[in-house]
Amino acid sequence: MENRDRTIRVPVNGDKKKARKMFLMNVAVMGGLCVAWFFAARAIGKPLVLPDFIETMKEFLTAWTNKRTMRNMGLTLKRVLTGSFYGLVIGSVLGLIMGYSEKAMSLLSPFINSLRQIPIMAWVPLSIIWFGLGEGPTIFMIFMAAVFPLIINTIAGVTDIDRNYFNAARSMGADTVSIFRDIVLPGAMPGFLTGLRLAVGSGWMSVICAEFIATSSGFGYLMIEAQERMQTAKLYALMIMSAVVGYGMDQLIRFIERRVTSWRFKDGKA
Amino acid sequence: MARLSIEHVSKVFSDRPGEVQVVLNDVSFDIEDGEFVCLLGPSGCGKTTLLTMMGGFQEPTEGQICLDGEPISGPSPERGYVFQNYALFPWMTVEKNVAYGLKFQDLPEAEKKARVDAAIEMAHLTEHRKKFPIQLSGGMQQRCAVARALVGRPKVLLLDEPLGAVDFQMRELMQNELERMVQEAGITVVMVTHDVSESVFFSDRVIVFGRKEGEIVGNVTIDLPRTRDRSSEEYEHYVSHLTNLLRDAFKGASIK
Repeated sequence: MENRDRTIRVPVNGDKKKARKMFLMNVAVMGGLCVAWFFAARAIGKPLVLPDFIETMKEFLTAWTNKRTMRNMGLTLKRVLTGSFYGLVIGSVLGLIMGYSEKAMSLLSPFINSLRQIPIMAWVPLSIIWFGLGEGPTIFMIFMAAVFPLIINTIAGVTDIDRNYFNAARSMGADTVSIFRDIVLPGAMPGFLTGLRLAVGSGWMSVICAEFIATSSGFGYLMIEAQERMQTAKLYALMIMSAVVGYGMDQLIRFIERRVTSWRFKDGKA
Repeated sequence: MARLSIEHVSKVFSDRPGEVQVVLNDVSFDIEDGEFVCLLGPSGCGKTTLLTMMGGFQEPTEGQICLDGEPISGPSPERGYVFQNYALFPWMTVEKNVAYGLKFQDLPEAEKKARVDAAIEMAHLTEHRKKFPIQLSGGMQQRCAVARALVGRPKVLLLDEPLGAVDFQMRELMQNELERMVQEAGITVVMVTHDVSESVFFSDRVIVFGRKEGEIVGNVTIDLPRTRDRSSEEYEHYVSHLTNLLRDAFKGASIK
């Protein structure tokens, strides 16, 4: 019954200067890498391997206004959201049940733990047999990538809840339903949100792989196309785009995380 | 009739088959209405186990604990409990934490609101009522936990070393606050502690536990006016008397 410190420290006041300094450092490192790329590309002189920096940046910037690129990006994002949504529903429900009931845990965990050892890409052939080429296998792959981090982190979220919270609630007269609503759900929220971050991240990573193989549309497909047409600069640009979009989604979930669980932060609101 | 009666209570744990650990062996005593009783003893003496059984979180292996003659089975709002780490719900504000103590009682909303306001007022937390526990100092958390336990007007208040994790300077201050709140509520209290001076400060009666199996080595009535002066001669006298009782209990052990 130890008093666990679940504080998350955030920079305040005096740390603001530090944060700004850190940001400038980040920009400087980024700039340094760009310069290095610029000269390395000239020195190597093989644009098929390492394309010219300026040309890649041109590709990168114009891609955001290119209708075809953006349409495929939208398609991919939609797949990620759909697959993650299924993962979220099934993962959080299973995670809550397994975290709450020891019986469910011992019944399901060997099954879940062995299932999740199967590499994501190993599901590709089977999912094509099940769903045929197109949306089916990609969404299934994202689901498979998203569901396990959600299950595992939701379980951790539930089991991390201080046992005294349950006793306290019961001593105030709470029944099982109220305990689930007032203690288990909010208590598991931090773990669940960590799971969601990891889930969307791995969903985003696996969707592109899935699109290499199982469809003829989407962001991953554009990459394969660029490679086949030997447009290396475009391929680089698309890869940077996928990093930017993935980073953006992660930041968005972190923002939501701070909003929903502001009680974990000393300075209150997000 | 006693408010709380502990009747031949034993508690045996067995983590592994064939291995048994006797935590309490045939413990009996009564607590009268309005009494403040401290269970004093070294860690591992079984005092906390006894308190959790009064709370209804554990069942005695043998014997029973009765509240107003009714055997206790399971937790209930009749018995307010303050945990060692306070167990405030971190996702609820002060206000919501305190209100949770009344949430499951059958009272009109207006009455609930008035009682919550009064409890927050008594805990001197009115201007902090919208804050989350993480934003409170240790003293405020303690007062919030006591307010939450008292708001439902339980028959007894059970305190599990509520000042156990507090540093020395802070401790006296928090003791004064706790004394004030408990006296204002005028309620029967059972408090577990290993701090001798603390038990003299709060108690009408101190039940001293020995080293093992919940053996009671002393039952000392503290006859001093409240609020007690920690520097008075009589206070010192009680402290050294209780300290000697504890020391004797340990001496017996070291000879074996």
